[in-house]
This record gives sequence, structure tokens and C-alpha cells, in this order.
Amino acid sequence: MADATPTGMVDPRIFEDLQTKIDEDAEVREQIKVILTALERQGRSTQSILSRAHSTPSAQLKPVIESAENSIRLEIESVSKLSEVASKHPYYKYNGMWSRDVQNAITSILLCGWLGGMAMTGKPAEAGKLLTIEEVGEVMNVPVNLKDRDAFHISIEEYLQSLISVIDELARLAINSVTLGDYQRPLQISQFVKDIHAGFQILNLKNDSLRRRSDSIKYSVKKIEDIVYDLSLRNLVPKPVAS
Amino acid sequence: MADPTNNRTSLSERPKDMPGVKRNHDGAAKEVKASTSPFMPMFEAFRDELDEHHDRRERIIKASRDITAASKKIIFSLQRVRALKTDIPPKILSETTDRMALMQKQFLTIAPDLVGINAWRYQRQISGGIQEYMEAVSFQHYLQKQSLITLEEASSSIAGGVTLTGDDYVLGIFDLVGELMRFAITTMATSGSLPGSKDEGSEEDRTILMDLRVLRTHFEALDTTSCGGTGLGKDVEKKMEVMKTCVEKVEAAVYGMIIRGRERPKGWVPDLSDDRAPVESY
Repeated sequence: MADATPTGMVDPRIFEDLQTKIDEDAEVREQIKVILTALERQGRSTQSILSRAHSTPSAQLKPVIESAENSIRLEIESVSKLSEVASKHPYYKYNGMWSRDVQNAITSILLCGWLGGMAMTGKPAEAGKLLTIEEVGEVMNVPVNLKDRDAFHISIEEYLQSLISVIDELARLAINSVTLGDYQRPLQISQFVKDIHAGFQILNLKNDSLRRRSDSIKYSVKKIEDIVYDLSLRNLVPKPVAS
Repeated sequence: MADPTNNRTSLSERPKDMPGVKRNHDGAAKEVKASTSPFMPMFEAFRDELDEHHDRRERIIKASRDITAASKKIIFSLQRVRALKTDIPPKILSETTDRMALMQKQFLTIAPDLVGINAWRYQRQISGGIQEYMEAVSFQHYLQKQSLITLEEASSSIAGGVTLTGDDYVLGIFDLVGELMRFAITTMATSGSLPGSKDEGSEEDRTILMDLRVLRTHFEALDTTSCGGTGLGKDVEKKMEVMKTCVEKVEAAVYGMIIRGRERPKGWVPDLSDDRAPVESY
């Protein structure tokens, strides 16, 4: 019946074209997935290196930082591969596939930068420093917050999500610093996290994933404040060097 | 203990205080440092960007909802049509034309929010409206031409260059099958025959049931396994079942019409043949 009237109801090209579109889409996803598998593994490896910071006194952090930087370099290679493939397609069409892995990479870069790594040309590394989104883009060698053209980049949301992960990590580091006998670092962390928290508070967040995760910052702030309180109560807070 | 208590009272006195204002150890230097976070300028820039994004998002959600509502009304109006491939009665046509114009206005208002890099950003927000729009447009197209609108035709019918994705097109067409089923059954019930029309050079009518079966065949041949759980893959499964049920309902109705039709004396026609005008007006 259908064959008797081939052009009547459905132009056969319609479904042929649709199938082609579906197949092309699957092909792109496959390409991206291969890169992400590598990136995910490298990301885990960087994170495990960085978590050694919890058991390493800050004076001896250098090897940890160097090893993390090397691992991050591998991640950056994967990201540039990803950027090349992804930039051939609408950014937001596939963004959901890699966003989490890219956030993990940004988190590692930010944390490594805070610990005193990630020196850049013209900008020496400095412990306690927050890399801006532009600096993260420079490190990763990809554009940030693109608006005028459609290509791979790091979005503001991704940067903020990563920043929240860094805060979680710093709350843990505050506790472990005390265990290591370092009573100065919790104060530094406390100030840093409070400053970031103040920043988050001026954002008008809607009921999205950023909102839900940013709600967790206040618990980190509290956790760190408790540590500072415990230290000051026992007169363990080092007197600040006159500045 | 003194500290948390202090904190609470100071908060209740000045609820808008930033966190970290005037906390314990070493007063003087604190005051200056804590009151302005060095990251404020950065976060202010982020705030502006995020506000723009949320505004766009809300405009699109609202437009999508309005487009959905208008499309549903167009479909309701079109369900009062009783014949294929003839001019749509003027009263119905003027209703659908007005609504269509309204929808196009909606598309035009959000078009600037959906260009360039943002073309896919709000896909989830706009897709509901576009699918419903597809359903309305393809239904009207079918009633007028008894054929399936192509992706290109449908895409160019949307004002302002808003992208019609292949996914939204397919999902809209799945819903079209439901409308065709309703149209076929109502027409059979009121006129006693299955709607159809003659193609050029053919003697027999091509009926709506034949068209539905062609659609079903094409849908079943579409291989979406590669889509996995993303977009199309997820929705197609459900819609496929509904689509099959719809075709089968028409098949059963036609069966009923034929088998019961046999019991009637030859040439007996239900006294409904000129029922069309009253049906239109209800």
C-alpha cells in the first residue's frame, strides 16, 4: 500500500535525512566520549595527587604541587583535544557531556593555584591566591565566557561550580592543617573562604544546580569558623606579623 | 561561647551584614579587610552575566508556554474540519490564522535570545513549545495537502530564524499521529466514511489509515538506539507506544465500520451525509 503511493504521504527524504542527522549526532558523541574517558582518568589522578596536601606540611608541598602540575598538563592536553572537536558543533548542544569533567579539571587548577602552584608568565605562583576565570582559561589555553562566537570555552557557571568544590576541599584542609600542627593556615583559609562566600551572596541565583551547591558554602564557612574558634579559645592563634 | 552569641545578636540588629564582618581575633585590621572582599568586582561581573542569562531563560519559558497554549487551541479548531485536501472552512481558518500570527510574534520576541551561541542553550526551555507548534503546523498542513510537512518547510515557517531541531520535529510528528487518529475517528463517526482523497492518476482514494500506516512504518524504521538516554532516545520509546496504539485504534474503527457496514442493506448510508455544517458550528 505504501509502495503504491511513494510520494503521497511522506517524502521519503524526510526520514532519510532524520536518520542521517541521528547517526551524525551519535558519531560526534562517540568522538567526545573517547576524549572524556581519558580526561576523567587524568582528573582522578590529579585529584589523588592533590589530596596528598592534606597530609603534607605546607613547607614540604613543593613536590606535591609539581607532580600535580604535571598531571594537570595532561588534562590540559585532553581539554585541547576536546576543544577542537567540540568547537565544530554548537557549544550548548553537547556541553552537558563534558561539563562535569571540565569542572573537575578547573577545581584541580584552582586548588593547585591556591596551594602555591600554577605559576604563569608574568604572574608568579603565590599560596592563597585565587586564579580568576581568565587565568584558568589561560592555563587551559581555551577561551572563557564566550558570547560573540560559538566555540568551546569555560562558562561562568563551570568556574563557580569548581570554586565551590575548592571551598569543600579547603574546609577539609583547614582541619587537617591543625592536625599537622599548622595553626596559621586555618586563618588564611577562613579569610579566603569568607571573601568568596561574600561574593556568592551577591549573586541572584535561581533554583538551579549552582544554587543548590552554593548553599553548601555556608556549612564550609561554619566548619572553618569552628576551627578558628577552637584555636583562638586555646590561644593557639599565631600573632600576625606586623604588616 | 561568647563569640557565637555575639554573632547572633549582631545579625539580628543588622540582618543585612555580610558574613565575616567583625569576627573574633584582633579587631582593628579585620574591620577594613572583612568589609570588602577582594573578589567583589569579579562577582559583580558574574552577577550581571547570570542575571542576563536568567532573564533570557525566563522570557523563553514564558514564550514557550504561550506558544504551547496557542498551538493547542489551533489544534482544537482544526479538529472541527471534516474533509481532507479541501479548503479549511473560513471560520476555522481565521481562528487558526490569528493564533498563528500571535505565535509568530512570540517567536520574534525570543529570537534574539536564541541566536549564535545561545541557539542550543535554552533548548530544554523552548523545546516544549516548538514540539506543540510542530504538531499544530503539521496537522494543518496535512488537512490542506494530505501529506507530511518536511523539516525544511516547518523550519522556515518559524519566524525570526529560531532553530527547529530534528528531535523536536520528530517528536512533534509523533504527536501528530494522535491528532490524525482523533480526526479520523470523529470523521468516521459523523460522516460514516474514512477521510481520504484521490492522488493524481489514481482511481482509489488514499485514506488517512494508509497514511497513518506509512507514518508508522517510517517511525519504526527510525533507528534511535544510538541516542541512548539523551533527548530523542528517551522520549521516542514512550511516544512510539502511544503512536502504535493510535494507529491501531483507527484500524479497529475501520474494521468496525466495514463489518457493521456489511449488515446494512447495500446503498444504505447513514443519514448524516449533510451533517457537516452543524458539526462545524458546535
